[in-house]
Amino acid sequence: MENLQNPEQLIRFLDEHQYVADEEMVTSLYLLLKLNKPLLLEGPPGVGKTEAALVLSQWLDTKLIRLQCYEGLDLSTSVYEWNYQKQLLGIRLQEGSDLSVAEKEKQIFSDEYLLKRPLLSAITETDKPPVLLIDELDRSDEEFEAFLLELLSAFQITIPELGTIKAVHKPYVILTSNRTRELSDALKRRCLYHWIDYPDVAKEMKIVKKRLPGIEQHLLEQVVGHVHQFRQRKLVKVPGVSETIDWAESLMALGLRDVNKEAIDKTLGSILKSTEDIAMVKADLIAY
Amino acid sequence: MDKIQAFQTNSLSEGILAFARFARSHGMNIGIQETQEALRAASAGLLTNRALFKNALKALFCTSPEEGRQFEKLFILFWDTNPLDLEERKNEMKLEGSISKKTNSSLVMLGVGNTEPSDEEASNVSGANSEERLKKIDLSLLNVMEADELEEIAKKLCRQMAVRMRRRMKQHRRQGQINMRRTIRKSIASGGEPVDLFHRLNTPKKQRLIVLLDVSGSMDKYSFFLLRFICALREHFRQLEAFVFSTSLKRITNALDKQNLGTVLKNISEHADNWSSGTRIGECLEQFSDSYGKRMLNGSPVVLILSDGLDTGDANLLGTELQKIHRRAKKVIWLNPLKGSKGYAPLAKGMKAALPSVDDFRSAHNLESLLELENILSNA
Repeated sequence: MENLQNPEQLIRFLDEHQYVADEEMVTSLYLLLKLNKPLLLEGPPGVGKTEAALVLSQWLDTKLIRLQCYEGLDLSTSVYEWNYQKQLLGIRLQEGSDLSVAEKEKQIFSDEYLLKRPLLSAITETDKPPVLLIDELDRSDEEFEAFLLELLSAFQITIPELGTIKAVHKPYVILTSNRTRELSDALKRRCLYHWIDYPDVAKEMKIVKKRLPGIEQHLLEQVVGHVHQFRQRKLVKVPGVSETIDWAESLMALGLRDVNKEAIDKTLGSILKSTEDIAMVKADLIAY
Repeated sequence: MDKIQAFQTNSLSEGILAFARFARSHGMNIGIQETQEALRAASAGLLTNRALFKNALKALFCTSPEEGRQFEKLFILFWDTNPLDLEERKNEMKLEGSISKKTNSSLVMLGVGNTEPSDEEASNVSGANSEERLKKIDLSLLNVMEADELEEIAKKLCRQMAVRMRRRMKQHRRQGQINMRRTIRKSIASGGEPVDLFHRLNTPKKQRLIVLLDVSGSMDKYSFFLLRFICALREHFRQLEAFVFSTSLKRITNALDKQNLGTVLKNISEHADNWSSGTRIGECLEQFSDSYGKRMLNGSPVVLILSDGLDTGDANLLGTELQKIHRRAKKVIWLNPLKGSKGYAPLAKGMKAALPSVDDFRSAHNLESLLELENILSNA
């Protein structure tokens, strides 16, 4: 990390680790490392937002701590919780001892009885700054978003019984969102922003090639070409890059070397994930 | 001062500062913090190439893909407005000093490259006014242009509404108080030690909503917007059931699950063979009670009917059927687009027959009146 001088180094590394990123993306990652500012990645599903965090943690050789957001996510599942049952047991065990009440209380509310959830463990990591991935933030509630504001700017968490815990090392934070709803401006202002879109044909071919080195050029071109056609249509669920890879992989596993009618018929389920879409594409195939 | 461009600055850091000001004056939300960070980024080895620097500033300054596109324009405008004849002008500038500098800058500002953003600004300003106007305009009086514009506004406002309503419901969501009775009862198993805590639920059940939309010919002009409105409600009321009716009833709840309104409309119009034809409200309500009433009128839902009440069927049937529904629903709200027009009185025989069983009779002729519904529904 210290010897990171320019983004080109990062590009080379990502390339080695099977992650194809354009310059814009790499610059954002570079800024994330240099300015230590959270990075908000937005884009349609399946374009490699989560993957970016994974690769980054590999590059830094640190832990990846992941928090998957969902509606109703609250502090006890994302930050910390007291291990109530263990505390009860602790009280029982203390019964015979001659500790004062204050000492007993202090022991009951000590680290030992604290269940660290992702956000707290990201802050208390002692070795190296970890990579903290807050995935699909748009699914969580506004309440949780507001809580993140404090965490992302000050990197500290207050626990009433213990006091304020400050980050030992500031974690590198990556937030992802599918933009199903608009995130608050306050949060966006605290982050670097990068929009990842579906890649163009050349880039997508590069990505698939990276993941499946054994693929034949002919098949690769056909697969990516078809996927791009699918994306032009009004589908219920537009296939992402990961679906492209899945599809290519399943075609290869079946030993098919050509994307023809029969091949599409057999494997369409790995690229289109909704019955309406599949029916529509198949109907078009017959007409065609 | 705000509109200095790159060639008028003396050093790179000054240039970055000026660019931040420039972008801010073009409506981007850039504060001191962003500017500082831009300078830090510049010193962190990002100045080696132009594309790199642009990307870095983009990541720092933008907060959405739309802003990203605007940024690209501004960036070129700011850093590249460097007329080739600048070299020639240098001498003049030395002689005439600040005066020529001024004319130079105004020349640039009047240049071709600059008209675009100023156009945008202009449209933004008028947008604020026309937005207010459009919100009040009767939906049936829209022309095509305005309809597109209004659709954009509606999309935005409906999303905001959905978010707000969700937010209001959220406050009830916290875990309730400890249920003492149950906790103690269950602690007997562990020798009186309350190992598992049980909480009282204080979440009120989410209100269920049933929407019946009239898509007959007389409602033609309104039904598209009303449908959009239903889609927005759907985001909040997960348990929303939606139907369209004219001469017969059609359930469209499943079709609403689609993300894209265009496909929703297409799906619905494909299924509804009776779109934009006559109305037989009474029979449709009967059909509703018969096939769905048992299942859906449980637990007193709110029933929302969007119709102009111009019934060609039996008015008495409408009266009795609505009464039946009213008995089992918590509230029946009737939205009538005609109510917004001046001098309207519910004289149509269908409407007259329905009114006794309607709790809330409201207008729905423009966007504003639709959005008012938010308050009623969130109290429900």
